[in-house]
Amino acid sequence: MTRQDSPAETVVSVEHLTRRFGSQRGVTDVSFDVAAGEVFGFLGPNGAGKSTTIRLLLGLYRATSGRMRVFGRDPRRDSVQIHREVGYLPGELSLYPQLTGRRHLDRFANIRALRDSTYRDELADRFGAELDRPVRTLSKGNRQKIGLVQAFMHRPRLLVLDEPTSGLDPLLQDEFARLIRESVAAGSTVFLSSHELDEVQRVVDRLAIIKDGRIVVTDTVEGLRRSSPRTVEFRFPRDVDPGVFAALDGVRVLQCADGRIVLSITGPVGALLHVAANLDPLDMTARRADLDELFLSYYRSDPEPEVDDVR
Amino acid sequence: MSADVALLDLRLRRRSMIGYAVGMGVYGFVIVALYPTFKNDTSLNQFSQGGSTVAALFGANGPLTTPTGWLNANLYANFVPLIVLLLTIGYGAACLAGQDENGTLGLIVTLPVSRRRVAAQKFAAMSLLAVPVTIVTALCVVAGRGFDLTVSSRGLIGVSLGVLLLGIDFGALTMLIGAVSGSRGTALGVSSALAAASYLISSLAPVVNWLHPARFASVFYYAVGDGQLQHGLSPTSAAVLLVVALVLFLSCAEAFERLDVH
Repeated sequence: MTRQDSPAETVVSVEHLTRRFGSQRGVTDVSFDVAAGEVFGFLGPNGAGKSTTIRLLLGLYRATSGRMRVFGRDPRRDSVQIHREVGYLPGELSLYPQLTGRRHLDRFANIRALRDSTYRDELADRFGAELDRPVRTLSKGNRQKIGLVQAFMHRPRLLVLDEPTSGLDPLLQDEFARLIRESVAAGSTVFLSSHELDEVQRVVDRLAIIKDGRIVVTDTVEGLRRSSPRTVEFRFPRDVDPGVFAALDGVRVLQCADGRIVLSITGPVGALLHVAANLDPLDMTARRADLDELFLSYYRSDPEPEVDDVR
Repeated sequence: MSADVALLDLRLRRRSMIGYAVGMGVYGFVIVALYPTFKNDTSLNQFSQGGSTVAALFGANGPLTTPTGWLNANLYANFVPLIVLLLTIGYGAACLAGQDENGTLGLIVTLPVSRRRVAAQKFAAMSLLAVPVTIVTALCVVAGRGFDLTVSSRGLIGVSLGVLLLGIDFGALTMLIGAVSGSRGTALGVSSALAAASYLISSLAPVVNWLHPARFASVFYYAVGDGQLQHGLSPTSAAVLLVVALVLFLSCAEAFERLDVH
């Protein structure tokens, strides 16, 4: 990681955070930092502890143990100062069914002492948010648009977005990604949770994967990609001994039959190519680093992921 | 201090506020307009004479044909408190625990407003919810002067304040139980049960000897059960009702600080 974690640059700091809910799962020993101007992804399957961590960060829950700081402040004690600078989109957005989107936004803007509605209207236009119908008549996607507008409308220094594109169509997901980039260019920091890799990898700089309440890896997308196994397939004019490939560092033989060998490789590919070249291959195909496979390996309980040195 | 949180909730409940006020107005007017028909009906007094516990169960104590007896038995000892409590207990259960259960509270408490202020605004909204019904009922009673039904202004103001404070006390209790438990159902159930017990104690205390001393433990006694319509609300009763409201509100604000909001 190239970024310096000096206190002045750290917007969110979480150390050994634990929250237990009796017999229910909570989060255990969670630690990470989010630097100013960063888009930090928080990835994990449903029920892994993403929303719990977010609620702890916003002072909605009390921690059982550990330390959290947002803008250097305590989320419970200094919640008003923190909330002034934060735009929050809950994972399961609940609005008042009888009220229109506009009434929600007007009321929230009043509470935030936000007088200028230009940016709010611009956001509503960009997302095509339906503001003049009661929320109960809107689809999930249309409610989500109102949620996005209320999170961004006061140009917060920190955006905390829990599953932000849930219910949005692909075009609006692109618009959302553009909005994230614009907000970061304007000085915001983004903390974004998702259970979908695609959503995260297109916008985040760095991410943490949480599973069963514990963080299993924290790295940049590029770092994870580098560490991800690639699949390489060779075809030879005759049967070959898989042992010569298996002996190479970072290479695992997946299949070998009738002159065809499929390998999983992590790390540099040079040694493998030397060995293969000496066997006069007829053909070679290589698939790019497969993050999906890496994430699935973290999500699955067994087998343990091959890559465990990227933390 | 911005009142947006309170205004938001009041707006959501304005239909029920208006509905209850209109309904109470119609009912109150009918009661008042019926008085001339019953005021000389001495047989009616037999219902509550001799310390009838059945009459006491319905809030009727003493002669029913006097203006205060008529209004107590038909409005202030039972029906008006019931409606006011429906409003304040209903909102008290919904405003913290109910909104937490349906997910809307999470958006409110992540706005830059402290939880104490959120609790204070919801307490204010709860108090205001009961005002229209109380005023409309009092106006009906004032209109009773045209139907030979005259009570003192001091008595009418006293009993109206008593009913209002009774609603606020139980509303605050419901908010407190909601803030402690996070459960709308628990808040609604426990405070409704306590309100019913309080009503029974206050209503039956005059006719059931062993319950007589227990009346001091009933909020109803300080609000409507001590001849407020005749003599007004005594400073002691007013102080008890206000102190109960204050203590419950402060406890609620403290409990809400600790509540996990979803």
